[in-house]
Amino acid sequence: METTDKAELAILSEISRISNSYIELPQKLQRIIEVIARGMEKDGASVFLVDRTGKAVTLTAAIGLNQETVGKLTFPFGEGIAGWVAEQKVPLALENPFSDPRFQYVPETGIERFKSLTAAPIMDEDRCLGVIFVLSTAPWSATSSDITLLTTTANQISGVIKGAQLFQNIKDRLAELATIYEIGMALTSTLDLEQLLSLIATNTTQALRAQGCALRLMNLSGVRAPATAAPARYVSDAVRDVDARLGEAVAEKTAREGRPVLVEDAGRDPLLVNAPGAPPISIISVPLIFHDAVTGVIALYGRQGDRPFSEDDLQFLATIASTAAVAIENAAMYERMEDLATEARTRAQELAILYDIGSAMSATLNLDRLLRIILTAATMGGTGLGFNRAMLLLTNERTNTLQGMMGVGPASWDEAGRAWGEVSRKHKSLMEWIQTGELFEHRDSELNALARSIRVPLDHGEGVLALTVLEKKAFNILDGASSPVVGKELREALRVNSFATVPLIAKDKAIGVILVDNMFTMRPITDHDVRFLTMFAHQAALAIDNAIIHSNLETMNKDMRIMHEQLVQSEKMAALGAMMAEITHEIRNPLVSIGGFARRLARKVLDEDAKKYIDIILGEVTRLEGIIHDNLSYIKDISTQLQPGDLNAVVREVIALYDDELRQRSIALVKSLSESLSPVLIDLQQIKQAVINIVTNAMEAMENGGILGIRTYPVEGGREAAVEISDTGPGVSAEAMHNLFNPYYTTKARGTGLGLPITHRIVKAHRGTIQFKNKEAGGALFTIRIPYGPGRGA
Amino acid sequence: MKKILVVDDEENIRKLYKEELEEMGYEVTAASDGALALAAMDAAKFDLVTLDMRMKGMDGIETLRRLKEKDSAVPVVISTAYEEYKHDFGSWASDAYIVKSADTAALRDAVKKILG
Ligand SMILES: Nc1ncnc2c1ncn2[C@@H]1O[C@H](COP(=O)(O)OP(=O)(O)OP(=O)(O)O)[C@@H](O)[C@H]1O
Ligand SMILES: [Mg+2]
Repeated sequence: METTDKAELAILSEISRISNSYIELPQKLQRIIEVIARGMEKDGASVFLVDRTGKAVTLTAAIGLNQETVGKLTFPFGEGIAGWVAEQKVPLALENPFSDPRFQYVPETGIERFKSLTAAPIMDEDRCLGVIFVLSTAPWSATSSDITLLTTTANQISGVIKGAQLFQNIKDRLAELATIYEIGMALTSTLDLEQLLSLIATNTTQALRAQGCALRLMNLSGVRAPATAAPARYVSDAVRDVDARLGEAVAEKTAREGRPVLVEDAGRDPLLVNAPGAPPISIISVPLIFHDAVTGVIALYGRQGDRPFSEDDLQFLATIASTAAVAIENAAMYERMEDLATEARTRAQELAILYDIGSAMSATLNLDRLLRIILTAATMGGTGLGFNRAMLLLTNERTNTLQGMMGVGPASWDEAGRAWGEVSRKHKSLMEWIQTGELFEHRDSELNALARSIRVPLDHGEGVLALTVLEKKAFNILDGASSPVVGKELREALRVNSFATVPLIAKDKAIGVILVDNMFTMRPITDHDVRFLTMFAHQAALAIDNAIIHSNLETMNKDMRIMHEQLVQSEKMAALGAMMAEITHEIRNPLVSIGGFARRLARKVLDEDAKKYIDIILGEVTRLEGIIHDNLSYIKDISTQLQPGDLNAVVREVIALYDDELRQRSIALVKSLSESLSPVLIDLQQIKQAVINIVTNAMEAMENGGILGIRTYPVEGGREAAVEISDTGPGVSAEAMHNLFNPYYTTKARGTGLGLPITHRIVKAHRGTIQFKNKEAGGALFTIRIPYGPGRGA
Repeated sequence: MKKILVVDDEENIRKLYKEELEEMGYEVTAASDGALALAAMDAAKFDLVTLDMRMKGMDGIETLRRLKEKDSAVPVVISTAYEEYKHDFGSWASDAYIVKSADTAALRDAVKKILG
């Protein structure tokens, strides 16, 4: 007995020494059972501990058994000897356990070596912490002192376990705090929202030994997430499926209540009745709260078979969540700010480009140069807008059409590669390009020819080009083939299916269109591109408007100079006219005497020679009188006595007048007088004179005979009546062309050069027009057009 | 025999008109300016007057007015180197308006038409 006591004491003191050593619980237990087995002179011992579920025991230390099963062999309460003892909380000695109905044989353990066993529960008050076994290879009938010793040992082990648990608790707590601290540090280390969410997820998943994490965000500044029904913003891969099934319901409740939610078993929780067959896992879900508002929900999914999450876990997650909420809000705000900054940067870049282009454009008032700058800017990469090809069309108010002015862009892939390669190699800015003048050296390209061939009527308002002007809006044509506003003709001319048009608007008026495409790179034109192009077009339109105004001013200036010259000319003419009038009168009187007496003489003289001389005098006098007549009628202002007259009748009179002469000059007359010519308001005498002047010219032009053509016809539209006189002479010489209507211009030895000027003035007095041209077949053709009164035609 | 007064400041024209009209069988008196013409009108009654427009001293328009004051019924043929007066006087103040020409046919026609 003493021996036993001594041995007992030795065992117990050994155990307490082990308990106080600084080794981990499993090692302690291992040592302790070694001591017991030795002390009780047995060759096997083991310890089962209640596991995390609190409803089963797991083999934690063993001697004499297969070490492989340590940590793996588990008996639920009530099953096997270990389970029975743990549940019944009473010691049990079995001399022949293999025949006991409670025994469960697990071959992997190697238990069959043993014959007998004794087990005692490890108790903490009335809570069972585990079971200790002593195994004997020899048949062994345990004495009560054996059982007492084992029970005492179990009590000591209980103390060891509790101490270890306490220590573990403190360690866990410390670790938890460390984790919280670490997570806190991690969370403030990044402002990248995605990275932050991933950090939160992995840290909490690790810290709580969870399967995975899902994060939902809502009401965050700049983060679009309508409500709780949003899919997770971040979800660990491992729980993607289960979150898709359960996440929203849990998050909704969490967000709605603003409190943590603990789901012990997803398979049975009433919250998840709508997700039948949910796996039996535990879920904790905690709201992210920032400034009293729920900004998100963080949820952790437990592992299947693990003990459910505890209130402690929930508390832990809530602690992390409070830090995470702030970090997430900051990151979201930063993200938004970054977006804004990026936007501001692009805007600034675009504005810089526009400024560059703007100053380039303002450097010229020459329209052609300006258009080239605009189109180069539209097609240049880097400092330009970077479209592949660009065309510019301007409206023509007079004809109410849209007219292609210029196109810039490479004709082929080859050329595109070369041109753009060159640009990027030289890194030239638009300004540089313009200043070096290289910009303007482009030969006439195919695209330019195409652009210049485009004419679009604006009356009908059909087609994308016309609509761009009429509706003053941009079109981004993604698929021309299916677009109702894009005609086949345009698509085939451009050889692209996608392009964009923007109006050129200056002072609220659409003055043209810019058309761009990416024929070679096929890069889709984005709405952003179109917006930028629109801004660009606005600036371009103002520059074009300025250039047009300038050129109008220039022509106006020129017109005024011409008018002024004409005025000076007409003043000169007036002075000259007055002088001429004076002279002609002074000449006319003596001519009357000379001619008058010569005539009288002719009647009295019989000598043939004398008669011949007198005829010469009379001839010259007649000619001089003709000159005077012409001069005077040119000089005097033409005031017309308009009355309805028949142009055909006038023509017939003139023909009758020259009938003989035509025959003498062997000139054939071809006349065609329109039947449908209604009377026109004319001064008969004057129009007759106008026609005579042209007819005499025609006759004089055909020295060796020819054909005189006279035609009358109503001008298309019925607004004018026309007389057309043609000859088969040499035509009007280049020099004469510029002087035809200048008084005193003549190429004839005996001409006054007043014929056509008089005709011109007469026609002008009738508000008509006179035109001439040299026929291709030879000879000149003059056309007089007299308008019908305002009452007709229109 | 019908009497005609020729008023013209060009001597050769007076002579030409006188010979041409006398050849037609009229009795012709010539005056070289407006004042003399009016004096001649006082001295005798004329069946027709040919009147130049531009003369030294009193011009044709003034002469025409005064002459018509004396004898509003006397036919006047304006004979002038100025074509442009035609519209102004042609129709209302005179009975005929001819532009002076070496070919006196126009004058002779006008006179014959008035005096028969
Ligand atoms: N049908 C024509 N064919 C060729 N040249 C012409 C013709 N008509 C006019 N011209 C040219 O225009 C010039 C001016 O013509 P215009 O009738 O004004 O004067 P003119 O015929 O020379 O003189 P005038 O008419 O006084 O006898 C002519 O001298 C001639 O050179
Ligand atoms: Mg001529």
